[in-house]
Amino acid sequence: MIDLRELILPKDQLLPFLRKLKKESRLIAPVQNNYGDTLFTEIDDLDAVKIDLCHQPQASLKPFLLPQQEILASYRSDNKGYRFYEPEEEEDTIYFGVRSCDLTAVLYTDLVFSQPVKDSSYYKRRNQSTIITIGCNQPFSNCFCEATESGPYLEYGYDLQLIDIGEAYFVSAGRSKGADILDKWSYFFRSVEKEDREKRYQLLLEVRGKFNKNIQVSHACRLLQEHEVEEQIWQQLSSRCYDCGGCAYVCPTCTCFSVDDTPIDSNKGLRLRSWDACTSAGFTRMTGGHNPVDRRQHALKRRFLHKLKFDFAEHGKPSCTGCGRCIDICFGGVDITSFIRLLVKGERA
Amino acid sequence: MQDVMTICNYCGCGCGVYLRVNQNRVVGSYPSKNHPITQGNLCSKGWHLHEFIHSHNRLTEPLLRKNGQLQEVSWDEALDFTASSLQQTKQDHGADAIGVLASAKCSNEENYLLQKLTRAGLGTNNIDHCARL
Amino acid sequence: MTNSIGELQDADVFLVTGSNTTETHPQIARNILQGVDQGAQLIVIDPRKTDLAKQAHIHLALRPGTDIALINAMMRIIIDENLADELFISMRTENYEALRDFLFRLDLDEIAAITGIELKTIRDAACIYARSSKSVICYCLGVTQHCCGTDNVQTVANLAMLTGNVEKEHGGVDPLRGQNNVQGACDMAALPAVLPGYQAITNLDTCTRFREVWKREIPQNPGLSLTEMTHAGADGNIRAMFIMGENPVLSDPHLKQVEKTLTNLDFLAVSDIFLTETASLAHVVFPAASFAEKNGTITNSERRVQLCQQAINPIGNCRPDGEIIMELGRRLGCPGMDFQSQAEVMEEISLLTPIYGGMHYDRLQENWGLQWPCWNRDHPGTKFLHKYYFSRGKGQFTVTRHQEPAERTEKHYPFTLLTGRGSYHHYHTATMTRNSTRLVREYPEALLEISKEDCTKLHLADGDLVELNSRRGKVRVKTQITDRVQPGTVFTSFHFWEVPINQLTVDAMDPRSKCPEFKVCAVDLKKVCHD
Repeated sequence: MIDLRELILPKDQLLPFLRKLKKESRLIAPVQNNYGDTLFTEIDDLDAVKIDLCHQPQASLKPFLLPQQEILASYRSDNKGYRFYEPEEEEDTIYFGVRSCDLTAVLYTDLVFSQPVKDSSYYKRRNQSTIITIGCNQPFSNCFCEATESGPYLEYGYDLQLIDIGEAYFVSAGRSKGADILDKWSYFFRSVEKEDREKRYQLLLEVRGKFNKNIQVSHACRLLQEHEVEEQIWQQLSSRCYDCGGCAYVCPTCTCFSVDDTPIDSNKGLRLRSWDACTSAGFTRMTGGHNPVDRRQHALKRRFLHKLKFDFAEHGKPSCTGCGRCIDICFGGVDITSFIRLLVKGERA
Repeated sequence: MQDVMTICNYCGCGCGVYLRVNQNRVVGSYPSKNHPITQGNLCSKGWHLHEFIHSHNRLTEPLLRKNGQLQEVSWDEALDFTASSLQQTKQDHGADAIGVLASAKCSNEENYLLQKLTRAGLGTNNIDHCARL
Repeated sequence: MTNSIGELQDADVFLVTGSNTTETHPQIARNILQGVDQGAQLIVIDPRKTDLAKQAHIHLALRPGTDIALINAMMRIIIDENLADELFISMRTENYEALRDFLFRLDLDEIAAITGIELKTIRDAACIYARSSKSVICYCLGVTQHCCGTDNVQTVANLAMLTGNVEKEHGGVDPLRGQNNVQGACDMAALPAVLPGYQAITNLDTCTRFREVWKREIPQNPGLSLTEMTHAGADGNIRAMFIMGENPVLSDPHLKQVEKTLTNLDFLAVSDIFLTETASLAHVVFPAASFAEKNGTITNSERRVQLCQQAINPIGNCRPDGEIIMELGRRLGCPGMDFQSQAEVMEEISLLTPIYGGMHYDRLQENWGLQWPCWNRDHPGTKFLHKYYFSRGKGQFTVTRHQEPAERTEKHYPFTLLTGRGSYHHYHTATMTRNSTRLVREYPEALLEISKEDCTKLHLADGDLVELNSRRGKVRVKTQITDRVQPGTVFTSFHFWEVPINQLTVDAMDPRSKCPEFKVCAVDLKKVCHD
């Protein structure tokens, strides 16, 4: 894909540039807080926080675009019956410092929430969002985006993409929103020289090498289309699942949710949407108590097959973006890359 | 949205958890990666730590039993009645007729204050909590 | 715990006894499993095949209540195999000869019969534990909630001392504390016989110090324990009670007696965040603020004092418990009830409690808290206990003998009932977890774990409603067929008020720790026929 604009942002102009952006909309960026944790945080005062582009943000953009718990509507009842209220409109928001894997996940989520009808609550926030990504020059401990084709740099999908080429950022605008920003604040930027382009290309080759962990995701996806996974493998994985739901919660492409109505008092209440996890037994339990899925045998089957088999069949791409967060957080040490390796090895045996 | 670091309210592991706050409502829980125990992991209860806080079953007003029924009263009425009832028991039956249960769910400061009140204010050592249960 | 949670994963051998660690202490289980993945050996002693037991190299599925016999046999084997740490024993312990002489008189085959475990398996476990110099023992209420709980703990300590697996970084004995601040409540002397920091109430110097700060005499007669207060019955000595954030009507053994005691009080005040079973019996109920609505510190299992920060304003008209206590204190004329902040309370705590001497809010804020003992402002806190000396000097070996549980199965009550926390999703009396939509969905009702063999014998199917009887009461509960329990034993949790299982449990308790015997009682069960 051809970028709409390409410019160079000297590193010392980053903060002034962000300051201008923040004036016009809400700014959310990875901030390393006082506890040493890096999380996407809404920034009040740019000078009071440490924007951290060195560590992987612990959460993706999911908590913002599809919050852990959101109010879909509130209701009130009186002698005339029920009345419903929609939550307030969302503000324009710029997400800065988003990683390639996490943007890929947003693009996937866009797809999920656009069919069969557009999810108004999700799109209200999504339409107000501008996403500025940063390409990764170093892999983090458990990530493997090269294998899932969702990084380390992106070809499309971003409003702006920054690549760290040393003393400056190589900035590309992938969408008109991004191009508009560059036009408006062009005085922070300089034009791209031939050597900048060469540097970026050279860097991409180097970085790709660093990211190559030899995890054959696509191959595993294809195998899954043709072969059943041995029962024993599912059981072994499930015996290490302690039902925390964390893998689904941290996953940027896990979009399962459930909706509950909760009263506030006798005549007021909220309709809430919350994250859910297909690894839980209650997710598939039917009225009357029957459960078509035995959690103890198949806790991770749906999650893994959804990511690697069904989505690959439908979109030609797995919906795992290789961010590695589910590996980081698993209590029992379950690792999707070991599963992939097992599949590929099993085929060779 | 704001993240407030606190310690999980469930088991004795003591995980560092961020409570995600939006307009005085806790809407999420997220593990801290840097916390020496949590290391980015939470259990099922920890991931749902925020859910009970806003439960509609929460008590929100002091209650006093009148004609056999618990009824909403002001803080002053509830506190005055409690203080005078405890005082009465002490007068009639002595301080050791009063028993106090502290809580393994409350803070150190609160447990300290309660045992201070029991020993220095009420004058008894009848204080315990559910450590063995 | 004498160790820290984070150092667990570097141990070579884990001996986990009486702890369903993956469900009750997930972070500790995670560290253990990480250790196992790195090559450590895992031995689990539990009558149930818990999720952790399924990962164990050796699972010692003993008959409930035979822990002492089992560990004594392990120690005898260790001595026979010449694996005892003689140097450690001679330098750092006393009374070893008595223990050794006692162990030599044991009949190992008899123990195999008592515990129901093959001698070879016991031998393997003993050797694995003793051969490593980095062996950790984790135990929980499965060890303490017995009539012989104190002896159980002593036996565990004997085993650790015998092999020198104490007072070092990756070796030790780690009791796992159940509730988020059970450690802190003990430290702060919410206990009948001590002052904060486990200082004896009989020590005159300590009392003088407290009198100086508190401006009141310290009562000298020892107080009553929780079960003594809540089991006195209709005409007990206790006439009025104040209960903060506890639910004894559901959590205590032999519940009917608790309810009888509480309903016959002249006055009962309860402070809680929900209208619990206990609160609904009260004359006055205070709406307390939850942990998210206040500041304060709590102390975890590894003695780490950590700050909890207020995230939101109190809901409705709720107030933090600390404020309620101070309001009452002022009305009762108790001096020193005018603290402006939790930090100020902590200043008084650190003044009077040597092990908390260096705990100050500014320090706690910076360092992910501090582990006690922390004697003063410059002290870095203590990662593992007993580094150079036990708190009483030399470690004392004590001879402990197997004793049968207070109640045995017999013709009319042929099953052994075990109780405890029963799922990943609930906690204690479930006042919080049952107000959590997702957790309720995952585990909506109480289940009785029962073996397939017993179900076949009794013609029961999965999900059948059964009536469970003991000599003290009966409850109805649905069955769940599982391989977690052995034939002859059944298990259920105490999470659900609809199934108040502690109406069935015995009120026998350990005479020293006053810990009730929740883990063993004899029951019968029969199918409930719908009419």
